[in-house]
Amino acid sequence: MNLPRPRSQSPRLKSWPMWMLMGIVTVCLLAIGAGREGGPLTQQERIDGITKRLACPTCDGESVFVSQASAAVNIKNEVARQVAAGQRDDEQIVAFIEDRFGGRVLLVPRATGFDSLVWVLPVSVLVCSVAGLAATFRRWRREQGLVPSDDDRALVAQLLAEEPEDHDEVPG
Amino acid sequence: MRDRGIGGSTAFRGRRSSVIATAVGIVVALFFIVLVVSSPEDRESAASPLLGNPAPVVKSTTLDDMQFELSRRRGSWVMFNFFNSTCVPCRQEHPELVAFHEAQAAAGTPTELYSVINDDSDNAVRAFFEANRGDWSKIRDDDGSIAVAFGVAKVPETWIIDPNGYVRMRFIGAVTKNLLDEKLTELQAAFEGM
Repeated sequence: MNLPRPRSQSPRLKSWPMWMLMGIVTVCLLAIGAGREGGPLTQQERIDGITKRLACPTCDGESVFVSQASAAVNIKNEVARQVAAGQRDDEQIVAFIEDRFGGRVLLVPRATGFDSLVWVLPVSVLVCSVAGLAATFRRWRREQGLVPSDDDRALVAQLLAEEPEDHDEVPG
Repeated sequence: MRDRGIGGSTAFRGRRSSVIATAVGIVVALFFIVLVVSSPEDRESAASPLLGNPAPVVKSTTLDDMQFELSRRRGSWVMFNFFNSTCVPCRQEHPELVAFHEAQAAAGTPTELYSVINDDSDNAVRAFFEANRGDWSKIRDDDGSIAVAFGVAKVPETWIIDPNGYVRMRFIGAVTKNLLDEKLTELQAAFEGM
């Protein structure tokens, strides 16, 4: 007797726990990697790290780290002095330079105040776009089974009746 | 299943398109308003957190190898002009500074004018002043610490510091004698009324 074979799960459904596991492992590894202390930095590493976060105030899109402009060299010297003095941490040194030259000297905008829009807007647009697409796809699927109303039928019938007779004739 | 009908669906889409178009229009209009009401960059950059606050510590040497310390200039109005002998606007404003300095020399309590040398050699500055006059002290800023302390990125820039050591005014770009006279008179009147 042939018993009905149980419906096998689709391969996509079978593999999703594995994908989820891989996702969780990846996120955990990234979190550990990002949070891990790399040991104390040398003064030069601190200077390099700070100057890479600062924009040269007289150049277009160059960091203080790479720029050879006079203003950038002056800032580099100031950062080196403050690191050597050891009285301020990296954030305080960046804040000092920002205080003197203004927010335009920051290569990475702050995540507070008006500047936070730089971070918030792209994420908001992405979320809205995904939500909009999902809503549209759902509506399209629903509309596939849309039933014409009596008015629609009447309208189509009226248009068909008004159509010329030779419409269906094959040319030639 | 809802029986909205084809005609009803079209009308619904039309309404929604209008709503979306209106929303996009509002956002674009808001951006436009922000652009119109925001300050131009040069006016913004003339501001400084130092204005109204004590001037940064300035310790250096002059071109004549004399010690210079800003804190020892208390009691006098001090003017710093950040300068480079190869910078065209600096060269253009120089006659105005000479005229201002000569007029100040005749005043009862003259404002002390100093050129802060920005990224320039001693010899080039000496040669420039010999050729173009200007009998005031020139302060060395070899490591750029004075420029950074005042937030100076480009020259020329001129700063006015009151007799109590507070920063009172910043001029970005070339200045004229008349502008300096006018602003200094205003500042001195306000200072005396304090």
